Amino acid sequence: MGTRILTVEDDERIRTSVKLALEDEGWEVAEATNGEEAIAYFARQPTDVVLIDIMLPGLDGFDVCRAIRRLSDVPIVMVTARADTHDVVAGLEAGADDYLTKPFVPKELSARIRALLRRARSADTGVTRMRFADLEIVPQEGTVTRNGEEIHLTKTEFRLLVELAANAGRVFSREALLEKVWGHDYFGDGRLVDVHIRRLRTKVEADPAEPRYVVTVRGLGYKLQP
Amino acid sequence: MSVDRAALDASRFRPFGQLGLRARIVASFTLGATLIAGLLSITSVTLSRSNLLDQRERLVQERTLINGATLADKLTSPDIDAQTLFGSLSTAGKPSALVPVTEGSDGDLRSISLDARYGTSALPRALRVQVIVDHQAGIMRYERDGETLLAVGVPIAGGQGGYFEINQIDDIGRAIDSLGYRLVGACLVAALLGGVLGFWASRRVLRPLADVSQVAEAISLGKFDARLVDTEWADDPDLGQLVSSFNAMVSSMQMRIDRDAQFASDVSHELRSPLTTFNASLEVLRNAREEMPDRAQIALDLLSSDMERFTQLVEDLLEISRFDAGAVRLELDEVLLVETIKQAVRSLSRDPIPVEGSGLDDLLISCDKRRLMRILANFIDNAKKYANSATGITVERVSASTDDPTSGDEEPRLDTVQIAVEDAGPGVPEAERAKIFDRFNRGGQGGSRGTDLGVGLGLALAAEHARLHGGSVWVEGRSDGLPGSRFVVELPLVEPADDPAERSLDEAEAMV
Repeated sequence: MGTRILTVEDDERIRTSVKLALEDEGWEVAEATNGEEAIAYFARQPTDVVLIDIMLPGLDGFDVCRAIRRLSDVPIVMVTARADTHDVVAGLEAGADDYLTKPFVPKELSARIRALLRRARSADTGVTRMRFADLEIVPQEGTVTRNGEEIHLTKTEFRLLVELAANAGRVFSREALLEKVWGHDYFGDGRLVDVHIRRLRTKVEADPAEPRYVVTVRGLGYKLQP
Repeated sequence: MSVDRAALDASRFRPFGQLGLRARIVASFTLGATLIAGLLSITSVTLSRSNLLDQRERLVQERTLINGATLADKLTSPDIDAQTLFGSLSTAGKPSALVPVTEGSDGDLRSISLDARYGTSALPRALRVQVIVDHQAGIMRYERDGETLLAVGVPIAGGQGGYFEINQIDDIGRAIDSLGYRLVGACLVAALLGGVLGFWASRRVLRPLADVSQVAEAISLGKFDARLVDTEWADDPDLGQLVSSFNAMVSSMQMRIDRDAQFASDVSHELRSPLTTFNASLEVLRNAREEMPDRAQIALDLLSSDMERFTQLVEDLLEISRFDAGAVRLELDEVLLVETIKQAVRSLSRDPIPVEGSGLDDLLISCDKRRLMRILANFIDNAKKYANSATGITVERVSASTDDPTSGDEEPRLDTVQIAVEDAGPGVPEAERAKIFDRFNRGGQGGSRGTDLGVGLGLALAAEHARLHGGSVWVEGRSDGLPGSRFVVELPLVEPADDPAERSLDEAEAMV
């Protein structure tokens, strides 16, 4: 079965043209014109990537994002009207993995989708099992446990953790993480990394305010403390 | 509306035209105080003088009349000697000479001078004639040997002579002089007080002007929310009007600016959706390019390249309208400057561009990395467009003392970093150098558009990004004197203080 992308967009012209462009990439594209329709579709059909416009009638993009996130850790790309901090951070907080601002170029969109799909197909680091104190990561199974208890991470969070863990102790700049995890070019948005690091901490750290594993290295970036 | 200003100015009475308002007020007060004090002084000197003279004349006249009468009585008794005669006369008021004159048998004059300097010869002839010949009492003030004398004469009953008294009245002149000196002193004090009062008044008068100009300056620096508030003089009925009309003017100006900015922002937002459709549809067409006839392919390529430009324009417009709306803020980051620039240049340009920043490899600055990179990308793009490629990038640390003195802040000046992108193109003529950072200014005359010249928002945005940091951008000639231009961005060198990664997390937290 091919890759299926669900686009949630109320503007018919944008929806149709984006569908055509994505189909040219060889993906199957499903459409939803509003939030309810999108959630109903998602519950019914297996979907690989969801593309959500924030400005929707009725349920807005953040609501849809949260609703889908409750059902699944499917990669989600938010489409925002503004690159302002508020929309971007709110979208990421709602569970989105990445975002794009209108007007976007389809090549950019498909590059992001490809990066998300790569992430979703598990991180193949060649290492089977990594252990840091009471934290255990099994990349091939896509699982993380703390004190034997399984922690549920989204694909992006998991990929981020594995990226840091595979070179534990090494400091990664935000740019490096953006490139490795998100497939962004040099001018990516550091907020993506910051918000995901924060979410990752709330899940893997006993005390997210005093991180033990995912630590900030002043002026340089982040590292995993072995 | 055409008022002849020159005529208006000429018709205005401006005695201190060359001076400033404050000096004029002080001068007016000084002059006014001096005039009033002077007038009062002259009046009082005149009045005192005539008062003193009147008084003295009355005294002398009365005494002379009494003495004359006494003398007339004594003269009738033949056995009286001169000693007794004069002894019976009053000398109250210290007359200088008592001069009885008889025009009798001997026809001569006898006088008793109490002061040797005055004798009969000291009497003016006109007075003698009036008293002795015309038998009329007379009084006369006259100058003799540099002295002021007052002589009074009464005819003696019987008609054979007269009785005169001569009084030296220089003391009155001296008293008046002394009064005059004191009054001149008082005038000087009054002038000084007038000046001080004028200075104080001018401060009060100029305070509103100073307040207004302060607010106007703030507004000219872009603080459109500045208003005249809480001024001490706002309750003043004459000036209150100024406050309200000034504030109303600023408000309407701000509204107008906001409306323009809002319009630009609205237009850009409205363009987003169709532009997204354009780009997506164009992509589909591009994917099918090979199946198209040649003519359609050419048209498609034209559409593609202009669509790219149009998209960039809308993105720039959106960004610049965020600046206009004041909706931008720095997201500070610790940046290892030279290394960051090297990395950025590698991803920005296919051709290698040398980055020169000797000795600054460890320089960490606190700045908004994304915005700095935008500026750099714009400079490099610009060099690519107009000069084929940038030839080199230099990073320099400039200490505050040798800083360009154009910015007149009171705040202590920071060291700065200057990042310069040089090219070997045609360069930018002096006259164009400031203008190319204006919005939609493309450089070159008449806005001639080559095949691939972008619209002129990039440099304007670069300027905004730099300004947000408290820095600036400019273009100059190449440092080595060769033809070409050198685009410089200067940022204040802020050493990183706390942990920016933690901070931006806190900010992210604060947003949700």
